[in-house]
Amino acid sequence: MAQAQSASWRRVAGDPALLGTIAAIWILLLLFVLFPLAHLLERTFVDENGLTLAPLLESVRDPGHQAAFVNSLILATAVGVWGTALGFLFALTAVRGGLGRHWLTVLDAAALLPLVSPPFTTSISIIFSFGPKGFITHDLLGLANASVYGFWSTCFAETLTYFPIAYLTLRPILAAIDPNLEEMALSLGGSRWRIFRTVTVPLAVPGFANAFLLLFAASLADFATPLILAGNAFPVLPTQAYLQITGLFDFKGGAVLSLILLLPAAAVFVAQRYWVGRRTYVTVTGKVGQRSRNRTMAPGVAALLCAACFAVAALIAYFYALLLIASLVVAFGANNSFTLHHYEVIFTEGLPAIRDTLVIAAIGMPLGGLYGVLVGYLIARRRFPGRRAMEIVAMINYALPGTIVGIAYLIAFNDPPLALTGGALIIVACYVFRYSPTGIRATVALLEQIDRSLEEASASLGAGTRETFRRVTLPLIAPAFFAGLGVVFIRSMTAISATIFLVSISWMLITVRILENMTEMALGPAAAFSVFVIVVVFAVVAGLSAVLARLRAPTGGTAARSFLGG
Amino acid sequence: MKMFGLAGAALAAWLVGLASARAADPINVYTIWPENYARPMFQEFEKQTGIKVNFLRFSSGEALARVMAEKNNPRIDVLFGGPVETFAAGIKEGIFAPYKPPSFDKLPARFKQPDGMWTAIADDPLVFMTNGAFLKTNNLKPPASWNDLLNPAYKNGLQMADARTSGTAVTRIFSVLEVNGRNEDKAFDYLKKLRQNVQVYTKSGGGGTLPTGLGQAAGGIFFIVDALETKAKGYDVVISFPKEGIGTSAEAIALIKGAKNPEGGKKLIDFATSPAMQSKLAEYKVNFVPAHPDVKTEASLAEVLKDAKIFPIDEDYAGANRKRVIERWVKEVLPAQ
Repeated sequence: MAQAQSASWRRVAGDPALLGTIAAIWILLLLFVLFPLAHLLERTFVDENGLTLAPLLESVRDPGHQAAFVNSLILATAVGVWGTALGFLFALTAVRGGLGRHWLTVLDAAALLPLVSPPFTTSISIIFSFGPKGFITHDLLGLANASVYGFWSTCFAETLTYFPIAYLTLRPILAAIDPNLEEMALSLGGSRWRIFRTVTVPLAVPGFANAFLLLFAASLADFATPLILAGNAFPVLPTQAYLQITGLFDFKGGAVLSLILLLPAAAVFVAQRYWVGRRTYVTVTGKVGQRSRNRTMAPGVAALLCAACFAVAALIAYFYALLLIASLVVAFGANNSFTLHHYEVIFTEGLPAIRDTLVIAAIGMPLGGLYGVLVGYLIARRRFPGRRAMEIVAMINYALPGTIVGIAYLIAFNDPPLALTGGALIIVACYVFRYSPTGIRATVALLEQIDRSLEEASASLGAGTRETFRRVTLPLIAPAFFAGLGVVFIRSMTAISATIFLVSISWMLITVRILENMTEMALGPAAAFSVFVIVVVFAVVAGLSAVLARLRAPTGGTAARSFLGG
Repeated sequence: MKMFGLAGAALAAWLVGLASARAADPINVYTIWPENYARPMFQEFEKQTGIKVNFLRFSSGEALARVMAEKNNPRIDVLFGGPVETFAAGIKEGIFAPYKPPSFDKLPARFKQPDGMWTAIADDPLVFMTNGAFLKTNNLKPPASWNDLLNPAYKNGLQMADARTSGTAVTRIFSVLEVNGRNEDKAFDYLKKLRQNVQVYTKSGGGGTLPTGLGQAAGGIFFIVDALETKAKGYDVVISFPKEGIGTSAEAIALIKGAKNPEGGKKLIDFATSPAMQSKLAEYKVNFVPAHPDVKTEASLAEVLKDAKIFPIDEDYAGANRKRVIERWVKEVLPAQ
């Protein structure tokens, strides 16, 4: 063991590019993940008398918190399972459904909508549609007094909001499965269902595990949706933590609840490593033959899948049509006459927020994409001491509820010499380290499918680490790079829970303005801001996929066409 | 190359947000009043003093959490607006500096903290607000008693604030305690019955106003400022008061300890606690009741309040029991459905 350890040290030390990268990433992780976390732990567990576990014990004993803990796990598991299933359905349909280019774009757009929309919008559409006077429950189905608050609506809203993550994770993986494999199985006499079960699904397993992990963590950390939809009968931990801090002014209690949240997140992570870690999934090798046209799906099944996807897409489109209407009428529900006034407001009073948000997103995007790919590559491809630790540390900010990350940043970076509060850098850093894990996971999942021999060939032909990375690995993981970059951009435009504590007098964000408008009952400007955000994100994402399509050779597979490179 | 270096340094300074000294010495403020109420007041202040106000809006809990986190290196000079109890919690955290503005002596005792840790700028009574169409279809009169809200017609129909996040809710619960002669068991008995008619407890005090306006909720208990704003937006809502009486809560302002511009901050406090600002509330249709005795309540607001029985929440009693009562509410009332 010790020998292996020192051997890997020597290998790292002999490769300056690798050593430099590892050192740089550790410095960043120390600064933007561990340093704030340490501050948080100090505030929680250290009082005048030194170290104390009293807040933790008190919190664990509270039956209300125990219920919230269990509820969080139930919700996160349900969202993980349903979201992965829905994401798989969309990915399968997109890759194998035989859809035309334009239909594919429609599908992508619908899947992207919930992901790119600012917080609260899905929840509010759901209340308008399924509430006591909802358009669907009351006006359409004639149900009086429908109850919209609780587990089912929260689970529904979160699944709809987060399934695109699963879709984005699974799609490149399905696309990368060499159809020749399935073709071979088919010609060997396997039934389509059998091939699906024994070839396609097992090959997608790393994708499933990653998608589930990402959704589980996203649900665990989400506080905006349960805050609006969970009602009072179904408390969950992130909401409890938020209420503890902002409502009862109990910072310690809130921090403890959030730290408890880390346990299930870490557990799933370890389980996923163990489960996926033992299998190999190489399908992209240097020896790919001519790709055959896919015949592995019966036309009837394909039609059924398409129908299911478009039903979901229609529901999503309907939710957002409501939003568009709300942005174009004087006062939704009270005065439904047409007006452009709300857009006028957001482009005058709201202009600073729009400008700041775009600047921050534009800075964070490339940094987040690069960081995600680098860390993902190191984790999946390189042997160096502390690799596992790096993998875990990189996930921490993603798994923690945003409120906590925000407050930890605020505490850690408020005092000199690292007085970053009040600036844009702290917001950019928060986004990069909180949302790049999607890019990291995507890179890892993709690399697990790509045979190492490709890189080994490059190395044996005399190319150094950097050269191999740039000329062989990077093109192969470009879809993951764009996925990571896209997610950071999208989140920079839409996230709120952490950054509400980081906006400052000189740097404002659109999402904070939306929340502010909601508090003022100004649904119109809130809806107009949301529509603006969605339009911008769609434009950028479409631009990204156009760039990606140009970058990649036509033989690169179906993935090239899609949004976010996936 | 040198040019790049310079540009890079400037960019870095801009991104990191290094404070650059400015001539007019603006003041930095977190406001708990929604922006549409606070902005015109700050503009008036700028007009009168020439001091620019940079501000950000947060809910009371978020604002307090932020000021607490920034304690060692305060980023603001003044915390503006928000219910008194938020300020009471802040005193315990040692985030305020005492300051007694010129209006201090004129204000009644409940509108100031004896040491000048905070001073009231307005008063905000609670009201019942119901959806007009709902009342019509159910053939109901606007609720005129606390017991009217227990009518099964409201089942699963009311929205009001969660006591863990909202000062509105705390004022509401202490109102119920007062009308029940501070008999806690009796009051909680009522609150548990009321729970049966509550659809959801919202995070913010005004969270239920829009649903009530849209008819997603039948009604609720809100601060008058939010209720009148809903009405002004054109929603069909009816405001009423219980005959047993209902509580009111003061809105306050405070100077931050370690403020970078305390002189400017004090000027804003002078302004906000005096008729200079409070006489402008009516002009901008901000329906708070002025705290300063020299400012008359605007006519239409006074009309709404005319026959209402409103009592202040006894601060000593509320302060001593707040935590315990909220905890009891969370344990007994929230799950009682």
